[in-house]
Amino acid sequence: MVARAASAPRRRSLAGPFYASVPTAVLILLFIGPMLILLYYSFQESLFGQAKGWTLDNYATILTDKTYAKVMFTTVLICTTSMLLMLAIAIPLAYLLAMRLSPKIELLFLLLLVLSEELNPLIRVYAWRTILGREGVINFVLTRLGIVDQPLDILLFSSLAVVIVLSGTYVTYTTIPIYAALKAVDPVLLEAADDLGATFATRFRKILLPLAAPGIFVAIILVYIPLYSEFAAPALVGGTSGYMIGNAIQEQILEAGNRGVGAAMSFMLLILSCAIAAFGYRLGRIKRLQATA
Amino acid sequence: MRDPGATIASSLPARIARVVFLVFVLLLLYGPLAILALFSFNDAIVIALPFETFTLEWYREALQNTLVRESLKNSIVLATVVMPISVLLGTLAAFAVTRFAYRMRSGVAVLVGGPLVVPWLLISVGLLLFFSRIEMPLGFLTIGLSHVVVAFPLVAAIISARLLRFDPRQEEAARDLGATNTEVLRYVILPHLAPALAASAVLAFSYSFNNFVITFFTGGFELTFPTWVFSTLRHAQNVPIVNAISTLVSAVQLGVILLVWWLWNRRARRHAGVDPMEMLW
Repeated sequence: MVARAASAPRRRSLAGPFYASVPTAVLILLFIGPMLILLYYSFQESLFGQAKGWTLDNYATILTDKTYAKVMFTTVLICTTSMLLMLAIAIPLAYLLAMRLSPKIELLFLLLLVLSEELNPLIRVYAWRTILGREGVINFVLTRLGIVDQPLDILLFSSLAVVIVLSGTYVTYTTIPIYAALKAVDPVLLEAADDLGATFATRFRKILLPLAAPGIFVAIILVYIPLYSEFAAPALVGGTSGYMIGNAIQEQILEAGNRGVGAAMSFMLLILSCAIAAFGYRLGRIKRLQATA
Repeated sequence: MRDPGATIASSLPARIARVVFLVFVLLLLYGPLAILALFSFNDAIVIALPFETFTLEWYREALQNTLVRESLKNSIVLATVVMPISVLLGTLAAFAVTRFAYRMRSGVAVLVGGPLVVPWLLISVGLLLFFSRIEMPLGFLTIGLSHVVVAFPLVAAIISARLLRFDPRQEEAARDLGATNTEVLRYVILPHLAPALAASAVLAFSYSFNNFVITFFTGGFELTFPTWVFSTLRHAQNVPIVNAISTLVSAVQLGVILLVWWLWNRRARRHAGVDPMEMLW
């Protein structure tokens, strides 16, 4: 006891800040620094990538130019459709994994889900191209079966292609949090509802969904926010109709040398991310309150 | 252990629907990769059905391609350097936020969580503008620094989760028995952390190896494997050597992760009470 009493205050006073010092310094320099630089550039007039004085023009351009409004609309549409599609897959999948499948199959599926996430996402995007393309697998099957006369061009280089590819990429991150939330639920609750004659729809709406709500909220934070800044998938399979805000930022920063506009768009995306996070947080809380009431 | 399906009986159509759904999920996850691998053995320059004859030509060509070799070498070296730095910084950060009490602790925790919440694209753009502002030439150094910034907070999250489950009485017991600080670290804390350290090392490596967006923005003209894939695909429709090398890389990745998981599982079986799923996140 004496030894511990002597050692505890010493650890309290110096060791914590000592351990924190290097990681904190790295983050202040390479995370906070760049975020502030981003903010700075967004208020600067830029010429050939150089900052040339304070201005609000970058934000004015983005908010008034119709092209940006269209890009933003496409982005919201693609991200929201993908998110809803993934929830439509992830909620039943998480339910099956957590409640209905045998432990062996449950473990196998979780392993497969997590493993698929460790593979290179760009390889996955490319793989989808060989499936959705004009000479791809889907078109081959459709034309051979005589369902369509001409290969469908809409499958690749379209917003539909981006939705399909993104849904395949992020479905793991959508499923795991919902699975974790449902895993904590006592199955007796569902049995009781079943015994009392509740239909599947009622059980789903009144019990499963409220209990899954915290997991859905985590999934939205984990998936919906990064969806907004996707740029590799739309660049490789999106064509012009799948052009997202991430592509616009990349083009402004790397190709047009218009850092001010690029930085302003990035900063607005950051604010949008925070808004989604706040909204998701509220949603999670309200649902939880209903569940306990 | 509950018996699934025993209490709420499922009808035959429901069971069929369930199997169909699970097969659909598997196809969504692995179907594209299977087809990618299949086409890597197809003796045709155009990636389209029907299949021609079987060939290993694309593998030979891919492995002889200087850009492929260089980009793979760059990615492996980069990930090998980023991994230990991220594990070290992440472990320091995890100790700092979970094991000690001091005034700025919650601030440090928020700061470490930051890069996990902010989308990578925005971090990349910020880093690019930052490096150009301080006139640091873009290259492997800037890529490496950027990878560390996103990878070590993840390590910190994994290690913290493990540290929070550490029973402090174990440490007290060791101290009461006369263990020094170093001995406590070596024989009590590190063995407890080992699986989390292994998991975060694997994750930090694959974070760096797979990363495209951050490398693309902060790498200048240096080529890594993902940026090589991107630039090749941007200008050509379908490239069989991309199929071949992608199949090879994916197979190695899956093999390594399965090996680590198997080792962890074996350990879990020896030490009863360790959750075999814990390794997964």
